[in-house]
Amino acid sequence: MSQAPLLAIPLVERLLAAAMERGAEFAEVYVERNENTAVTLDEHKVKSAQSGLSQGVGVRVIVGAKVGYAYSDDLDDEALFRAARTAAFIAAGGGSEQAYRVNRTPLPTFYRLADHLSDVDVGKKRDLIVRANKAAHAYDKRIKQVMASYADSTKRVLVANTQGHLAEDTQDLCRINVMAVAEGKKGERRTGSYGGGGRVAFSHFDTFTPELVAHEAARQACATLGARDATAGEQTVVLAPGWSGILLHEAVGHGLEADFIRKGTSLFAGKLGEKVASDLVTVIDDGTMATARGSLNVDDEGNPTQFKVLIERGILKGYMYDSLNAKLMGKQTTGSGRRESFKHTPLPRMTNTYLAPGEDTHDDIIRGVDGGIYCASFGGGQVDITNGNFVFEVNEAYEIKKGKLGKPLKGVTLIGVGPEALKNVSRVGNDPTPDPGMGTCGKDGQGVPVGVGLPTVRIDKMTVGGTRVAGGKR
Amino acid sequence: MSTNYEQLAKKLVARAKKMGAKQAEAFVQVGREASCRVRDGEIEHLTQSTSKGVGLRVIVKNRLGFSWTSDFEPSSLNAFVDRAVKLAESAAPNPLNGLPDERDLGAFPKIGSLYDPEVASLAPDWKIKAALEMEKAARALDSRIKTIESVEAGEQVGEVFLASSAGVTGYSQGTSVYLYTGAVAEADGQLQNSWWYDARRFLNDLETPEHVAREAARRAVRMLGAKKVKSQKVPVVFDPMMAASFIGGIAGAVNGDSVYKKASFLANKLGQTIAPSTVTIVDDGLMEKGLATSPFDGEGVPTRRSAIVEKGVLETFLYDAFTARKAKTRSTGNASRGYRSLPSIGTHNLYLEPGTRSPEELIKELPHGFYVTSMLGHGSNMVTGDYSRGATGLWIENGELTRPVQEVTVAGNLLDMLSRLDGIGSDLTFRGSVGAPTIRFNELTVSGE
Repeated sequence: MSQAPLLAIPLVERLLAAAMERGAEFAEVYVERNENTAVTLDEHKVKSAQSGLSQGVGVRVIVGAKVGYAYSDDLDDEALFRAARTAAFIAAGGGSEQAYRVNRTPLPTFYRLADHLSDVDVGKKRDLIVRANKAAHAYDKRIKQVMASYADSTKRVLVANTQGHLAEDTQDLCRINVMAVAEGKKGERRTGSYGGGGRVAFSHFDTFTPELVAHEAARQACATLGARDATAGEQTVVLAPGWSGILLHEAVGHGLEADFIRKGTSLFAGKLGEKVASDLVTVIDDGTMATARGSLNVDDEGNPTQFKVLIERGILKGYMYDSLNAKLMGKQTTGSGRRESFKHTPLPRMTNTYLAPGEDTHDDIIRGVDGGIYCASFGGGQVDITNGNFVFEVNEAYEIKKGKLGKPLKGVTLIGVGPEALKNVSRVGNDPTPDPGMGTCGKDGQGVPVGVGLPTVRIDKMTVGGTRVAGGKR
Repeated sequence: MSTNYEQLAKKLVARAKKMGAKQAEAFVQVGREASCRVRDGEIEHLTQSTSKGVGLRVIVKNRLGFSWTSDFEPSSLNAFVDRAVKLAESAAPNPLNGLPDERDLGAFPKIGSLYDPEVASLAPDWKIKAALEMEKAARALDSRIKTIESVEAGEQVGEVFLASSAGVTGYSQGTSVYLYTGAVAEADGQLQNSWWYDARRFLNDLETPEHVAREAARRAVRMLGAKKVKSQKVPVVFDPMMAASFIGGIAGAVNGDSVYKKASFLANKLGQTIAPSTVTIVDDGLMEKGLATSPFDGEGVPTRRSAIVEKGVLETFLYDAFTARKAKTRSTGNASRGYRSLPSIGTHNLYLEPGTRSPEELIKELPHGFYVTSMLGHGSNMVTGDYSRGATGLWIENGELTRPVQEVTVAGNLLDMLSRLDGIGSDLTFRGSVGAPTIRFNELTVSGE
């Protein structure tokens, strides 16, 4: 914390003044220095060790709903003032010579590492994936291929604006990932993948060991060997706790981001106070969870992140705001302004999004299903926030017959419309589980780390995609 | 200016050699971009920026180290090179590591200009005017257009410099300009959005702002009232944009690395017929004014035009230098990269050659079927070829496009789907660097109710 600021504060203040020269309402300077390390393993060999450094300054100028933005990855004064004056162009006036002063905002701490990940010897990072490779192969003879990677970043940011705020933060983030391919009879191949990390010290991997990660990836790959095609059509589905929360993130979360609300492009626009989900559904976005992947001490506009109840017992309670959309909508920011890097303007985004627990046990939920599908691990998903359509691939799924898990299924895709799926949530487990820290969310071409979480959940009448049509011709 | 970066690249390579690298390669990207978005007749967002970066790949005792930076301060650059060399120590030795073999290198092909001075000097006013025009045109198309999600116009100018100890010095520059409209339509409480865009190297080739806007609005409005259909097996038609995404999926399976690891459903199909004789899929690094055209690939190998599938027969897989060495074959000039990443196998301009029949004819023959215009999800597994994606589009009845459909999936297996291609339209269209005409499958599974 005793480090020198990323950019001298008097220079930051002069840049703010330059950005306001044409009489804008607001200006902001965002400075970033991001050090990355990555090691990858493939075919039993540590393929490469990599490191990267990106640094730069983004200047944002706002007049009403108009935004001017420019960035520079040259940090010399001339380039920085050029960026500030380019961004200033959005304002039509001139002649302002006002000076600006900024003061540090004290920040809470949801993660703070004594040893930053960028300072950890790369040899230790390599050893993780070497161990993971060994463990995955040892798990089962049918594991034929393993790809493992470790990546981390230590990102320092400084945000200052013409309201006098100055915030600085150091954001460490790491993740290990293992993908395993199992080969069964007749050359059938199935993949499994698992990983995790967060804003954690490197010692996290003493307990979240590479062996644990490798075994889970290998287990998934082997579990679905011999799986048969799922039956297409409407079915009851049960979602496993944890990473399945990605469904909530896609199906509901994006539609509650303020930019889509303000522009009227989300189907949740204008529905505050209305019933949008079953009584069992309480959705929370929380940027303050200790060491979680999506947590931030301060968002990318310099505002503290928050614990926010978005849906409470089925009633829509609130949206997620960045400062610009909040201002235009007459609301307060919820500390949800995030950006991928200095090359991007902030957008309202999720942090860690999860469903609050219910009262049923996991086993009771399964027991109550006569016929359906258990979704044990999810792949990727996507949503159309306007019509609410979402789609998910399920990597590992099982049929449920008379209250018991049955044979593995392959090719399971879930598709639905967000609010309808939420209304069909009929059981929620008492086993809230955060994901292990592996999500990256994309919006407008910007990727940011996020967390998700879910207890066991039963959803009735979910459309399942597949190639087998019940009673259909073939 | 140009010579500066070329010299910088060469200097980095020389320093790496001096520090103990047997081979080294520097890949420099320099660019600038600007864009304008408007909303309700006013500028919403104006951006303008320059950026640069260099990636340095070194081979030290058969070990691979890689480092990248955007900090070009002379005082930082030596430490940057040393870091890459030091990193190599942590990787495993592999005799296959290395820059492209001499036999894969050579004179770069002539590709014509990719640089439009008109784009490079595009005035901000042009973008503002184009964006305003798009917003107006989209709203004017239909009263059910409720809001415009976004209209944007912008351009990019980029340069690439490559220098390597294998003796390659490469330079290329290019421009691109684009228009984008996203429109939202509303009726009876249902919202539907759609977008359209065009991106070209040259300003003269770009679709007009009015066309882009009207297409986005038309696609949104025609989806109003969309509903599920019953699960069934029917003929399915992909519009050119969805067909392009299907072809992109197929191209993922000819990646030489996946093939070598048998992680592709096409791994053992080389030389075999995998599609009807009407199917020819081409990867063309030389295409005139192509968005993915370049004289050399990400490691300095000259690019070329390759037919991946010729008249239904799988003719080639795609390789970079490392994978080619592993698979005991030659690089196909398909190393793709930015300065922040090591080369990996990718396509250039990829397309399905057009057929002779109009899209209308392909639809007219169907008593019933599903015309797919947009999809959700990634949905295809390269290892197994299993394919399942969320789809929206229009239902076909008696040869006509009728009611809109959403919340269904289209599923199959890519290999099976290829064999089911029974119609290819004459309307080859490029959106970005992948192009395809309308295509028809004789039967796929549509899952709904």
